[in-house]
Order: sequence, then structure tokens, then C-alpha cells
Amino acid sequence: MEQKKDLILKISGVTKRFPGVLALDNISLEVPKGVVYGIVGENGAGKSTLMKILSGVYEKDAGTIEFDGEVIERTTPIQALHRGLSIIYQEFNLVNTMTVGENIFLGRFSENHGMRGTHKKARELLDSIGSKIDTYALVGDLSASEMQMVEITKALSFDSKLIIMDEPSSSLTAEELKKLGEIIFQLRDRGISIIYISHKLDEIFEYCDIVTIMRDGCVIDTKPIGELDRSEMIAKMVGRTIENEYPPRAHFVGEPLLEVRNLNTSKLHNINFTLHKGEILGLVGLVGAGRTEIIRAIYGADKVKSKELIMEGKPVTVTTPRDAKALGMGLVPEDRKQQGLILRFSAGDNITMAALSRTAKRGILNRRKEKEIAKRQIENLLIKTPGAGTKVLNLSGGNQQKCIVGRWLELDPKILILDEPTRGIDVGAKYEIYVLMNKIVEAGGAIIMISSELPEVLNMSNRVLTICDGRITGEFSPEEVPADIIMDRAIG
Amino acid sequence: MEKTFNLKRAALQNLVLLGIVVLCVVTAIVEPLFLTQSNFTNILRQFGPLSFVALGMTYVIIGGFIDLSVVGIISLVGVVTLSLIDPIGQVGALLCGLLLGTALGFLNGIVLVKFGAMTQAEVLFITYGMSSIFGAIALIYTNSETEHMSRLANPYTIFTFIGNGKIGPFAASVILFAAALAMIEWFYRKTLWGRQIALMGGNKTAATLCGYNMKRTMVLVYTICGLFSAIGSIVLISRVTTASPVAGAGYETDAIMSVVVGGTALAGGTGSGIRTVLGVLLIILLSNCMNLLGVSTYVQTIMDGVVLVIAIWLDNRKEQQIH
Amino acid sequence: MDTKSIFIKAKQLLLKQKAVLAILAMIILMLFFDTQFFTAYNWMNIFRSATVQGIIAMGVTMTVLCAACDLSVGGTMCLSGVIAIMMINGGAPIPVACICALLSGALVGAINGFLVVHQRTEPFIITLGMGTLLKGISQLLTDAHPVACTNMSFMQISNTKLFGQIPILILYMLIIFLLFFWILRFTNYGRNCYAIGGNYEVAKYSGINVLAIKWSAFVISGLAAALAGILLSSRMNSASSVYGDNTGMLVNCGVVIGGTSFAGGVGGAAQSFIGIFVLQLMTNCMDCLGIGAYIQQLLQGVIIVLILGFDCYGRLRKRERV
Repeated sequence: MEQKKDLILKISGVTKRFPGVLALDNISLEVPKGVVYGIVGENGAGKSTLMKILSGVYEKDAGTIEFDGEVIERTTPIQALHRGLSIIYQEFNLVNTMTVGENIFLGRFSENHGMRGTHKKARELLDSIGSKIDTYALVGDLSASEMQMVEITKALSFDSKLIIMDEPSSSLTAEELKKLGEIIFQLRDRGISIIYISHKLDEIFEYCDIVTIMRDGCVIDTKPIGELDRSEMIAKMVGRTIENEYPPRAHFVGEPLLEVRNLNTSKLHNINFTLHKGEILGLVGLVGAGRTEIIRAIYGADKVKSKELIMEGKPVTVTTPRDAKALGMGLVPEDRKQQGLILRFSAGDNITMAALSRTAKRGILNRRKEKEIAKRQIENLLIKTPGAGTKVLNLSGGNQQKCIVGRWLELDPKILILDEPTRGIDVGAKYEIYVLMNKIVEAGGAIIMISSELPEVLNMSNRVLTICDGRITGEFSPEEVPADIIMDRAIG
Repeated sequence: MEKTFNLKRAALQNLVLLGIVVLCVVTAIVEPLFLTQSNFTNILRQFGPLSFVALGMTYVIIGGFIDLSVVGIISLVGVVTLSLIDPIGQVGALLCGLLLGTALGFLNGIVLVKFGAMTQAEVLFITYGMSSIFGAIALIYTNSETEHMSRLANPYTIFTFIGNGKIGPFAASVILFAAALAMIEWFYRKTLWGRQIALMGGNKTAATLCGYNMKRTMVLVYTICGLFSAIGSIVLISRVTTASPVAGAGYETDAIMSVVVGGTALAGGTGSGIRTVLGVLLIILLSNCMNLLGVSTYVQTIMDGVVLVIAIWLDNRKEQQIH
Repeated sequence: MDTKSIFIKAKQLLLKQKAVLAILAMIILMLFFDTQFFTAYNWMNIFRSATVQGIIAMGVTMTVLCAACDLSVGGTMCLSGVIAIMMINGGAPIPVACICALLSGALVGAINGFLVVHQRTEPFIITLGMGTLLKGISQLLTDAHPVACTNMSFMQISNTKLFGQIPILILYMLIIFLLFFWILRFTNYGRNCYAIGGNYEVAKYSGINVLAIKWSAFVISGLAAALAGILLSSRMNSASSVYGDNTGMLVNCGVVIGGTSFAGGVGGAAQSFIGIFVLQLMTNCMDCLGIGAYIQQLLQGVIIVLILGFDCYGRLRKRERV
């Protein structure tokens, strides 16, 4: 009983299920008052789902949440805030077009007697954490770290007892990070608890008192920071390789196929690498490190400052995706719904989309050939659909993804670029996509793969490049180098 | 259970047909004159300027955009064509008119692509600006005066034929429209460029990543719309035998209305010229039935507005069922 | 603050405010011509003619700030004038007629708001359609003929002069402008509008009643347009279904030219007024220079295409994607 009183947050047995995925499996956590509580885990471990349940964006399927001694059944984001639970997301919840002061008191303008009162109160709060940001500045003009200060101040304005920070350091410089550390300690000393979610283990070791390691929707371990060391933590995060989760690694690497030289854009710096025939090349890095930017630049979808591509020994120019397609490249983009599919079209139409230019003779389409292609790819890829005419929107995520992959397979691409090919799809479909990837390289194609799930990249790739801050920071053979070393390099 | 659901969906997909049938039945019962042959011919004859403009607009909307500049194009093409009959003869004038419309549409497309207009809102206002430029040129060109065919020195038999001629039992403009419809629908359904219009409306980003040139497609749809507006304009001056520099006013909303009423989604990607024909037919029938019933023309304008708002609303309901 | 930093700040402000730059350019240009442009009478004229569109623009600004727009204001304005005058001619007291006209505007706004906010239709198209509908109603009511007001005191509303000099319309404009400026700048409601347009999701999660506020923005827009309609018909002492044919598009263009962005959350009453003022000033300059009406329309079109086009272009450059 006595111990219970000191807890700010108690989560017991929380479970959350999404179609086909068990996102949280019987999670239990106890966060005491006035501590910095770290949560670490890979992408997909369930951290963000947990946060969204706490803030009321999602509803839990089972379990209880107790905040400050009060059992919370249902909540909305604004109720959570008023109770004293603030979450600072990786993507800030700020209105860029408004001033700092107004963002801190968003929707509560009249509580502070108008503009002047709002700014005065905001000033006091900012001063209390030693920040010198002008309350009249526009949030859109601030740096990432300043925005974070605004978010923290906003949390303080609600008298928060618990502040959750989701990947707070992802866009901060070293100097700014130090400042953040000071503020975190200051808040802790005021009796505010902080849940600090991060990939970056250095920060976890520096700031946190207790750490929970999550993986695959489960809590793996919870320990005071002093009882853990770095290698143990990484081992627990990366952990297992369940048997049969990945097909046997393909070994068909041949001669160089594509050389990328001197690739520079506003976000990328001097990218050089070579892709070989029959190779699966993995790009490893945090979200926002520049992985997607690299492949988009190669594919001609983004503007570049400089770029040289040498394909099969000959220099080639790619300025639009059209050029890339003509050279035998294909791109499966990261955001299936926004960039990949035409949701209102049938599965068949989505499959034949890229091949249209090939089936057409002198610009005249051939409907019969299109039907053949759709049928062939549906059979080939085991796409589960009532027929080619079914709207792609009614298919599951895995089958939607297969439609996009099938779109390119029809063209026998020399280079297939897969950006997060298994995001949001269930385990069975993932395995089928892996098998498919092996088939492509077996046929002599090459694959560039991006994934936020480290085990996936490591188990599928012949070679991985680590990307950090728009630069290639290392090149490894995942068969020879252990996962923690690669991850360490990707984190930077 | 399954069956009723499908029935409901089928009805929702083909509301315009349902509307046409209901309208015909109701009017035929209330006013037997509706079923006479002369009324039937009358209805067909009304496949006039609007149906061409609406047809051109259809492909812009399928491509996910909208074009308000048809107003200016119709006005300008009309006055230029008529004024050219005397100097260069009727065939030359006709061709120049069509060419001018196509060029104006092409110009729209280029302007939009160069400025990088992406959303319907951006496109809406820029084409409005273009429209007022074209309209102003028409006013300057004619000094705001209406031109009359009857004052021409050269013969204008082609125009008379387009306006009032008959091929067999059908009005020439109806035949012309059927031919134009067949050609553009063939282009849209059977050619790669035509398919790219639907791809653009469906998902511009995805189509670009699949290696299709969406800038060209955008120019293409506006060019098509310009050409069809020009045809519409020529049909218009042939019918009324005058060309006014403000003749295009109101055509933009009527055309959009016909397209949306026909069931082409404003969000883009789906739809067809055939649907637009049904939309136009519904609107013609509506006005025909109200004429027969002796309803004032102003009530008809209101009805048009009501039909438009309801059509957009229904279109939106359909969209929300998709997502 | 030293002079250099003042200079830099001024430069930034001017570059951001293209409309102000345009006004300055026009004034400077007019210095080279010997016209009636720089007379007090002319300037009063400019402001007076900006009144009707300016008042409508205030309402439209609310909807644009909420990341929507209202193209039906032309129709609303026209209808409100028709209702006011027809009621007065029918014997209703002037205040009652005006209130009914205002209510008609509010009703139109409420329907627009319902369709756009609650039914989530595309505001641009649906309000355009609504404009056509309203025009039809006005035509029906007036039989498409101009209607003159038989009660001469109705004219007094807009045609009085303060101190025998200043048109009273300018005073109305000033009051409405200050009201909207205050609402948008200093009230919870106004700031919430900015939040909704700036980031809808964040506003929603901050506990702002996004639906009600966005809906009410349309009601206010309808009200403002109705008020403008009453003032216009009083000034003309007549109502006609042809008033306001282009007003909807022009006012929305003017609002955007002033710097209130269709993306929402940026701009305000002052910017919108400046945008409308640019269009009016341009007309006036061209009048003074004796440029014909059609060339004026041409130049207006060019200005609209250029300013809105460069607006798009700026956003395109920011995205930096092919």
C-alpha cells in the first residue's frame, strides 16, 4: 500500500491488438514519482502504441492503467493533459503558424486574460526552465530543440506530473542535447516523472534511473540503470531470432551492377556505393537519417546537387522516375497508400500500372494482355483476392504490398528498391515477401532494401550500409559482424 | 442481406440513371406531351454547346483538377472565329477557332505546370485568372460588341449546318457530339496517354513513381478541355448566329455540374465521358420537364444549383464510403 | 535598434507582404502622371469602393483562416440586397427588412458550414455551386430585373456623408474592420480559428471544438456578405440579380493576394483588407490613367495569375520534390 502511493503511473496487463498483429502483449510497468524512466526497444516493439494508449488516441483491449492513484478507463488527449500526463511526440504537436506563447496555451487563450497575459505566463514558464525563447516568435521559425522546449513548457503549463518524451533527441545537436539533459534533471528534481523513450543508449545511460526493455510488444526486462550494461541491453533489444522467421539467406552476388558516385542533395552528403548483381543491399539507419532520401535521389524522384550513376560499366543519367524505369529500376515506396497504390482502382489495375507502357503498342493499350498480367502476378505472388477486379482498398496490407511488388516484377527489374516493404503487414505475408526477394536476386536482379526493423535487414541482406545524418557511416557483412556493432554505427 | 446491400450499392453507383428513369416516368404521367416525337427531337437538339464543354471538363476532373477558364475560352474562340469568316473564309475560320481553343488550353496547362499548382484550390483560382484574361481579350477584340453572322459578306454555310442542319432525323450537332464522344472515349480508354489521365487523378505521386510523365498529362487534359470548349463555342455561335464576348458566362458551373451529376468523382481517377452524357441528359430532361410543366426559368436556375449541391454532396458520400 | 537592422526588418516585411509592395509601386508610378489620383476626393472614393468587398473579405478571411474558403459570398450578397429591398417595398420597416436579410446570409452560411464541415465536402466546389443556387433565387425573386427601392430613407444608410465630407460607408468599413481585427487578434475564438487552420489535428487534441468553430466561421462569412449586400443595395438604391457576379471569386482572390493563405492559419483582417485594397487601387489607378475597362480586366487577370502562381511556386520550391 505504501509503495503504491509513490507511483505516478501503474500499467498492468495492458494488451492491444491490431488486425493481424498483437501490438502489446500483457504489458506491465510501474513508474515512481520523480524519476527518469527509460524505455528502449526497436521499431515495432510497441513503445509508440503504448504511448498512444496512455494519451487516449487508441483504446486498450485489456488491462488497467492507474495514473496518480486513479484508475483511468477511457481518456482523450485533452483529458490526459488536464490530468497531468503530457506526451511530447517525435513530430511536435505544435501549430507552426502561431507564436510560442500561443502554442503553450493553445485553446486556453482566455484563461490568461488575452494576448498579453498569455505571453506573460508563457514567459514565466519558459524562464522557469531557463529558456530564453521569445514568446512572440513563430514556432515555424524555431529550431527543433527550441520547439522541444516549447513542448516541455506546454506540458508544464498543464502542471504535468508525468512527461513522456518520444525520441526527444532525434533531431538535436550535441549541444542542444546537453541542454535537454539539464532540463530533464531539473524537472525530475521538481518531482515530475519523465518517461524517456530512445534508441540512443548513451542518453539512456546518462539520464535514466530505471530502464524497461521492450521487444515485440512485450516487456523483456526492467532494471535500475546501474544493474545493466550496454551490451546486455542491446542483446535484449535485438534479442532472438525466431527460427523460420526468415528464409535462408540468398547467395547470388555477382559483378557490379550500379555504382552511385558523389551523390549530394540538401540532406545527403557524398554518398558513394556499389550494388552488385544478385545482391540484397540493406540500408540501416534511424528514421530521418536519410535512407529514403538516398533511394529517392537515385530513382530521380528528388532534386539533387550532384549525382553520377554508372550502370553495368556505362554512365547513365536519371533525372526523373521515368528514366529510372527505362533503365530497369523499380521502386516500392515507403508509404503504400500515399505513394504506391491507387486505392480506388482494382487490384488488377494497380498491378498492371507500371507495365502499361510495355503492353501498349504505339500508345494503344491491350486490355487482354493487362488481364493476363494481373492474373499471372496474382497467381505468382499468391495475392489473396476474390479477383483482379476487387478494389485494392479491400485487400489486407500484405496483399496490397504484393500488388506493388508484382507491378515491378512484371517488368523483370534489374534493380528493385524496397522501402519498408513489410511495414504494417502480418508475419505470414512478411515471410512471403522475403521469399519473393530471394527469387528476384536468384533471377539476377538486385535489391536495395530499407527497413526500420533491424533483424529483417540483417537477416535478408548480403551487405548493409549504415546511414547517419545523411552520410554513409559504415559497410558491413551481417553474416560476419554482430547486430549490436552495426546498430551502434547506425545510431552514430 | 448480401443482395440488398449490392442493390443499394448499384443504385448509388448509378444514381444518374435512376434519376433519368424516375424523371421520365413522372413527367410522362403528368404531361403526356413528353412522349411525343417532336419533344424527343427537341431534347436531342439540346445536346448543344454545354455537352461539348462538359465533355472536355470531364477529363480534367478525372485527372483530379478543375478548369474555370472555359468561360474565357468559349467567349474568345466565338468572337475570333466569327470575325475570321470574312477575311479567311469559313473553313479557315473554323480551323483557326479550334486551333485557338487548343492553344489556350495548352497555355493553361503550361502555366499550371510551371507554377507547380498541385491542389484543386490552386488550380481553381489560377484558371479563374486565366479565364478573366481570355475574357478581357475577347472584350478588347470586339470592343464589347456582339458580332452577327447575318452581317457577314462571305458564306457561312458550315456554321448554319452545324447549328441547324440535319443528318437524317438527327440534328447535325448531335451527330458531331456523338462522333466527338466516341473519339475521346476511345482515346481515354484505349490509349496509354488516356489511361495516364486516370492514373493522375487516382494518385499522382504513385503514377510519377511508376515512370509516367504527369506534367505532360496535366498539360494534355487542359489542352483537351480547351479544344472541346472551342467546339462548344463554335456550336454555340452557329446556333445563335451571333458571337458575344461574354457568351461563356455560366458555362463553367454548368459543365462541372453535368460532370458531377453524371457520377464522375470530383476527387479524380474514375468516371467517363459516357457518364457526363448521362449527366447532361438528366439536366436537359429536368429543364424539359419543367418547361412542359410551365415552371419559370428562374426556378430552373435554382433547381440547377440544388442539383449541383446535392450531386457534390452525394459524390462526397460515395467517397467516404470508399475511405 | 540601429538603422541597419531596422532596414533589414523592413525589407523582410516588404518581401513577405507582396501586396504592400504592390501598393507602394502603384503610388510611386502615379507620381509620374498628372492625374486626379492624389486628391483627397479620389482617395475617399477608393476607400468607399473598397467597402463592400472589404466587408465581405472580413468574413471570407474567417473561412480561409480555417483552411476552407467561401465562394458563395457573391450570391449571398446579391440575395441579401434583394430580400432587403423587396421587403421594404412590400411595406416592412427598414430594420426588420435588414435583419431578415442578415438572417438569410446567416442561413446560407450555416448550410455551407454544414456541408463543408460536417459533411466534409470540398469547400471550393460546393460554395461555387451554392453561389449559382443563390443567384437563381435572386433571379426568381426579382424576375431578373433590377428592383428600385421605393422608400427613400433606405438610401440614407449608405449615402450619408459625415461632416458633409466623408462617406459614411468608410465609417462602416472601419468599424467592421476593427471588429474583425479584434476578434481575430485578441479573442479566444479568433485564436482558435488560427489554430484550426494551422494544424487541425493539434487543435483538435488541444480540446478546441474544431467542428463548431469552423462551422461558425461560415455563418460569420454569410453574415458579412449579407451586410455588404444591404450596404450595396442601399448605396445603389436598388437590388439586382446581376450584382456580385464576380464578387465571390474576386474577394477570395483578394484575400489570398493579401497574404491570407488557403493552407490556413496565416493572415488576418489587415492582410485581407490590403489584398482587397490592392485590387481597388489598381482599378482606380487605371481609371485615373484613362485605361479602358477591358484592359483593366486583362491586367487584373494577369495580376491574379501571377500572384497566386508565385504563391504556388514558393510552396513547390519548399517541397523540393520532383
